[in-house]
Formats: sequence, C-alpha cells, structure tokens
Amino acid sequence: MIEKFSILSPDFERDAPRELTLLSIISQSFFQPFSLEDNLLVILTALTSGSGVGFNRAMLFLKQGDRLRGEMWLGPRSAEEAGLIWEVLSTPGIGYVEIVEHNRALVSKNEDTLSARLKGLVYAADDEKALIPAYAACRKEILLVNDASSEPLVDRRFLNVIGVEQFLCIPLLARDDVVGEIILDNAITRTPITAADIKLAGICGLMAGNYIYSAALHRKLLDVEKMAAMGEMAMFVTHQLRNPIVAIGGFTEQLLKPDVAEDKRARNLTIIRDEIRRLEDIIYQMGHFLKVSLKEPVYFDPGPVLGSVLESPEIQSKARGYALNVKLDPCPPEILCDPTSFGEVLRNLLDNAFDATPAGGAVSVRGYRKSPSAFVLSVRDTGRGLSNPDKESLFRPFFTTKEKGMGLGLPFIKRVMDTCGGKIEVQGRVGKGALFKLIFLCREREMTS
Amino acid sequence: MKKKILVVEDEKTLRLLYEEELSKEGYDITAVTDAEAALAKLAQNGYDLIVTDIRMPGKNGIELITQIMGLRKDIPIIINSAYQSYKEDFMTWAADAYVVKSSSLDELKSKIKQLLGE
Repeated sequence: MIEKFSILSPDFERDAPRELTLLSIISQSFFQPFSLEDNLLVILTALTSGSGVGFNRAMLFLKQGDRLRGEMWLGPRSAEEAGLIWEVLSTPGIGYVEIVEHNRALVSKNEDTLSARLKGLVYAADDEKALIPAYAACRKEILLVNDASSEPLVDRRFLNVIGVEQFLCIPLLARDDVVGEIILDNAITRTPITAADIKLAGICGLMAGNYIYSAALHRKLLDVEKMAAMGEMAMFVTHQLRNPIVAIGGFTEQLLKPDVAEDKRARNLTIIRDEIRRLEDIIYQMGHFLKVSLKEPVYFDPGPVLGSVLESPEIQSKARGYALNVKLDPCPPEILCDPTSFGEVLRNLLDNAFDATPAGGAVSVRGYRKSPSAFVLSVRDTGRGLSNPDKESLFRPFFTTKEKGMGLGLPFIKRVMDTCGGKIEVQGRVGKGALFKLIFLCREREMTS
Repeated sequence: MKKKILVVEDEKTLRLLYEEELSKEGYDITAVTDAEAALAKLAQNGYDLIVTDIRMPGKNGIELITQIMGLRKDIPIIINSAYQSYKEDFMTWAADAYVVKSSSLDELKSKIKQLLGE
C-alpha cells in the first residue's frame, strides 16, 4: 500500500509548529508563479505574521549593482492594525495565494511616508566602514542591535526611519554573494528578540537569499534565451522580407520594359500589391509579438472569456465548414491567468486547429476540472497532425508548419503558461490530428453573498 | 539546343519570376517547389545547371546538394538564398556559386552564363 502527499501543501495548518509553517511558506516561493516582489513579500509575511516567527515588522534591502537599496517593508502601522492582520493570517486554511492577495492589498495601503523614506536609503554594498544596517550585509554577519540610539555604528538616517531601539539585521547570502538584507523588529509589541528567534530568522535569511539568487539567475537565463530568439528573429526577418522584395523588384523591372502587354501589366501590379500586403502583415505581426507584455496572473472565472472568444465573429467565420464541438464545465473553478492573455491563447489555439484541418474536419474545445487544483482547456483537431521533430520545435519562435505563418502563436502561448505557472501537453501523430491541453492552476469560486 | 536549368524555389511568385526572366535569356526552365520534386525531376531528365534556395519546407537546399553530389551527375549548382549567413556553412561550399537573392537578377544571370561557359 502506498500513500501520496503533495510536495507543495496548498494551505498552512494552524496547529503545525510555527517554525515548520514558516519554512514551508518560504520554501514554496521557489515554485510559485508570482513576481519576485510578491514572493519576497510572502517571505516577509512569514517572518512577521501571527503564525510566523513572531517579529512585528520586516524591511527588505536588495543589492543592485554595488548598492544596497531599501525596497519594501511589511507589517502593521499600529496595534489595532496588527490585531487585524494577524487574525487574517491565522485564519485556518489560508494558503500561499491568499497571502499574496493579502499582501498586495496591504502594500497598496502602505504607500506611505515610511515606504518613501525606506526607498530613499541607499548604501554601498561593499564598504569596510559601512554603518548599520549595511554593516551586516558588507560583513556577512547577523547583528542584533540593542539601544540603537546610543550605538555609534547605526546610521542615524536609518534610525529615524525604523524608530525602534532593538532590531535584527539578517544578511541574505547566496554562495559568496550578498543579495540583500532583512531587518526585523518588534515595533508594536515591544517583545524582546530571543536567541531562538535569531536562529530561525537566520535560516530564513539563507533560504530567502537562495531564492533571490536563483530568481536572478533565472532572469539572466531568460535574457540569454531572448537574445538567441532575437538573433533567430533577425535571420527570419531577412528571409521573410527579402522574398517579397525580390518579387516586387523583379516584376517592377519587367514593367519598366517598353511594350508591356496590358494583361501582363495587370498581373504584375497584382503580384506587387499582394507582396506589399504581405510585407505589411509581417511587420504588423512582428511588432505585435515584440510589444505584447504579459500582466500578472489573477484568479478569475474563465467562463465568460471562453464564451466571448468562441462566439466572436472571427472564430465563427473561421468555424464555417467545420464541426466545432464545445463542451465546457458549466460552473468552472476560478483559474490563475491574465484574462486577456487567456482569451488570446484560446484564439491562437483555435486558429491553429482550423489552419491544420481541412474543411469538413472537426475541432473540439473542452474545459473541465482535472483535480482540485488543475483546470484543463483542450483543443483537438482532426487535421494533419504532428511529427515528433515538429513537437520539439513547436514552441520555438518562428518555427511554423504553415505556408504563411510566422510561428509566433505557440511561443506566445508558452509565455502565457510560464507566467501563470501552468503546463502544456501536446499529443498527435502525422495524419491523426493534434490535441493541445493547457493545464491551469485553479481554486473554488469565491462565494458571492 | 536550349540549355536546361532546374530551379528549386518554394515561393510561388519567385518561381514565376525566374521562369520568365531566365526563359528570356534563352534557357529551358523547369521550376519546382521543393527538394523532393527536384530529385524526381533529376531522376527523369538531364539538366545543365541547378539553381536552389536553401530554406524550404521539407528537405533544405543543403540536403538537396548533398544528395545531388551522391548522384555523381556533376551538374553545376548555384545557391540562391535570402540569407547571407549560409555562406559560412562549409556545406554550401560544395555549390559552384552562392548568389544572395536580390531584386536585380543580373548577378544570378551572369553566374549562370559563367558556369555554362557562355
């Protein structure tokens, strides 16, 4: 007999030891589809929430180039607010996603003078004579500061911002690099910081440092991939633009000869006009692909978006001559994605399905819940299918099996799915049609009262 | 007798342009869309020269050249590509000439003449 357990627990148990809960939350940031800022805020929440280590407030400095900059802080501004926040965070069943939403609301409220003053604090990240707080990051040491106002090593500007006598500085390290620093205090409860708190916060600092470091590496890797794609794009554009230009030039040359017959003149002008339209289309599509920036994913009901895409005039007109079968869960869960991108994704999948399928074929759209946390949107066609080498290249920009395609639709879909932590599965054999399954993270709908 | 040229080009309008322009120079032109069609034509007929694109659906022009070399037919081949960069691929050196596609067909025409010893 075997028993299975989820690697990422969807919610954090109230009865679990607080240390475990804290480590569980921080280690999940590596896997979450949210932005660096959202994930960092969750780490700060873990350190400050009622179910966390029990610090009241956390401030984050991040290293950018050779500077250490104040970035964000999290925590209540008063005792009343503290009570409210800690109550929310100790609600049974609260999970990572709820914490992210909670933080977004809190941070938008916190756009106050403290944030502005924190963001104004910038220190050299590698300075032998650095003052606290930069001292901790520069020397890679955890510091507990007591009686801050009588400690000459504390930077007075910082002291004015933080406004407490006792605080803890945790440098964030990854390999030999300093990536930032977290400063923790108990500004509301004034409880003294204990040795156990310091130990646990130190471990959290290591995990947070590793997270920031790997997030930065991941970003660099994406940049490299982007550069490679740009190179490929330059090659592709050369080819795509040169062919119509050669045709336009060649047929224009013929028109410049004396005594061109009327029918040939008309034919050449038609070719030239069509090739110019093709150039325009190429330029439009390239511009669109380069410009599209993706928004942060949110939970939403996919039903209305699916309906509006399927009933849109473009899709309806393309579906003429095909059997379009749609079967959607009438009460789907909320899925995690940017709603606009979600609509574009379905549009792209349908375009591909119709293009690959000869008239008279069938295209089927399904939307169903596969598990409590996974919603599947699938599009199946009865078209020419996919060869194995095609399957490997499908998501590479500018790869296309279409006569006139640019090969930008599926790379766009992949970008969307990567951004919202979803997955793509492709099935199909040559001559047997293709099936694209997009798997989104999902959750129960919020009950509207 | 007219010299026979096989043109391999996936773009319909360019096939038409090459057919017309090279016929005017007095050649007998056969234009096909891909490498497979070219190999089929080569199996049936003799040609005096081949002009081929590189990036095409299915087999690309370099694979085509490799196969033609295997046939030991000793036909001069001109690569006609939109890409300058393939010149660095040593496999393209097996061709007798490399002409980058241009709206003026003068360079292509003069290379054809040169290779046919005209």
